Amino acid sequence: MFDLQLVLAIIGVALVGGIIGLDRTAAGQFMISQPIVAAPLTGWILGDATAGLIIGAMLELIWVLDMPVGSFVPADATVSAVLATAVAALTCPGGAPRSVLGFSILLSVGTAPFTMMADTYVRSWNSRLVDAAHAVTNADAARSLSRAHLTGLCAFFLKSVVLYLLLLPAGLAAAALFMRSPATVQVAMELFLKLLPLIGVSLLVRRLSIKALDPFLLTGFITAGLGALVLHLHAGIVTLLTIVTGWMGVRYREHRQ
Amino acid sequence: MNIGNKRVIGGSDLLRVFWRSLLIQASWSYDGMQSLGFAYALLPVLKKLYPDRAEFEARLRLHREYFNTQPYLASFILGAVVRLEEDRAAGRASASAIDAAGLKAALMAPLGALGDSFFWGALKPLAAVIAVALVMAGAWWAPILFLVLYNLWHVGLRMSVLFWGYHSRGDAMALMARYSFTRMARLFKAISLSVLGGILAGISGWRPEFGPNLPLPGPVVAVAALASTMVLVSVLRRGGSPIKLMLGLALFCLALAYAGVV
Repeated sequence: MFDLQLVLAIIGVALVGGIIGLDRTAAGQFMISQPIVAAPLTGWILGDATAGLIIGAMLELIWVLDMPVGSFVPADATVSAVLATAVAALTCPGGAPRSVLGFSILLSVGTAPFTMMADTYVRSWNSRLVDAAHAVTNADAARSLSRAHLTGLCAFFLKSVVLYLLLLPAGLAAAALFMRSPATVQVAMELFLKLLPLIGVSLLVRRLSIKALDPFLLTGFITAGLGALVLHLHAGIVTLLTIVTGWMGVRYREHRQ
Repeated sequence: MNIGNKRVIGGSDLLRVFWRSLLIQASWSYDGMQSLGFAYALLPVLKKLYPDRAEFEARLRLHREYFNTQPYLASFILGAVVRLEEDRAAGRASASAIDAAGLKAALMAPLGALGDSFFWGALKPLAAVIAVALVMAGAWWAPILFLVLYNLWHVGLRMSVLFWGYHSRGDAMALMARYSFTRMARLFKAISLSVLGGILAGISGWRPEFGPNLPLPGPVVAVAALASTMVLVSVLRRGGSPIKLMLGLALFCLALAYAGVV
């Protein structure tokens, strides 16, 4: 059945996601497009900020070190984060259960190859803008260059909008099927969500250190263990203690060398 | 036009370059990469320095050639090029002095590597893991803290290196000595690892969406989380990717659910 409100929500998500996505490459790079910000923002707009916060934190851990080095185009974590949050929030408007959050994150992983293909296409298409700017000889070269350059913003924006308009309805359809799936599948997705932080932490440790059991990881572990489990300190204080411990560890190592 | 020894580029001109440099990747392409973005950022300065249309267009043509570096540290090269163009327009450039095109070619690759490893490989993960640690503990304001932590460094450094590039005429050694990017990257990575250790140790205090709800004491669950992470890191070192690992985890959870373990 045609649901006007849902169609408007999909268009709204596409437009907001398109604007947030500009921050990823084309404009500013203030990291508003990082999952930890983009997902809660989308969730807040759709009335489920908590879903956005959880999805954003998980996708941040998973994609944060997938870096745009040289001409390599990484998976678009912004599209993944906005899409997963929108699927969760629009499927369960009263607050998405854990199983739906887990499923939405898993679904967003499936979009990674499409986002990479779309990004690669736009970057190839942008070569025409370079050609257009180079071709100008008689007209106002400055104005032509500005026009060609800023057209790139529209291309990046449209790329994201088209991706959302294609992927979000497909994601919502998949989530509707998931809601009708056996309870076993839903339990599995709940477990998936609970275990995801370990995957995220492992991915980061793998990229940040060449050692499996890094001394800084171990120092932070012991400090937080003592702070949280023995002294029962507030989580914010424990995080601060791990930061200070890491900093002191580096100072100690520098002093020793 | 010879403008003698008078300095014609002021702070406001450099600020205009800075604002425009925020869009340096707006038309990023495989052919020119940031070529149009670089020229776009320089436009106001070139217009001011070269009132003669033919000369302006010649300089613009030069600056819309291939260019690619880390987008934040591009500001340093922009600042240096502004200074070289100012010297050139004033007739102050000596015959032995490096020209703007040579400077761009010499600096873009090393600054690209330096910026990638500092901003993408160290600062971003640090701000992210601190924010995630706080989200896991239930802090709704963690995304705001992430933006503040990251952008204090990002915007501060991006603007600072633009002015430093102008004043140093693109002295990369002076840049390295002044900002110690490599040392800071090492520090940020170590702190990130320490915070990640803290996330694992605090597993029993994670928000309910992630809490393990196991009938075991907190220290036992924490050690189990650390051990699992070590195993996963070993798997990743054997060629696992995020996508493969997540799909593998989903299948593992489905198998456990169908086996009636959970």
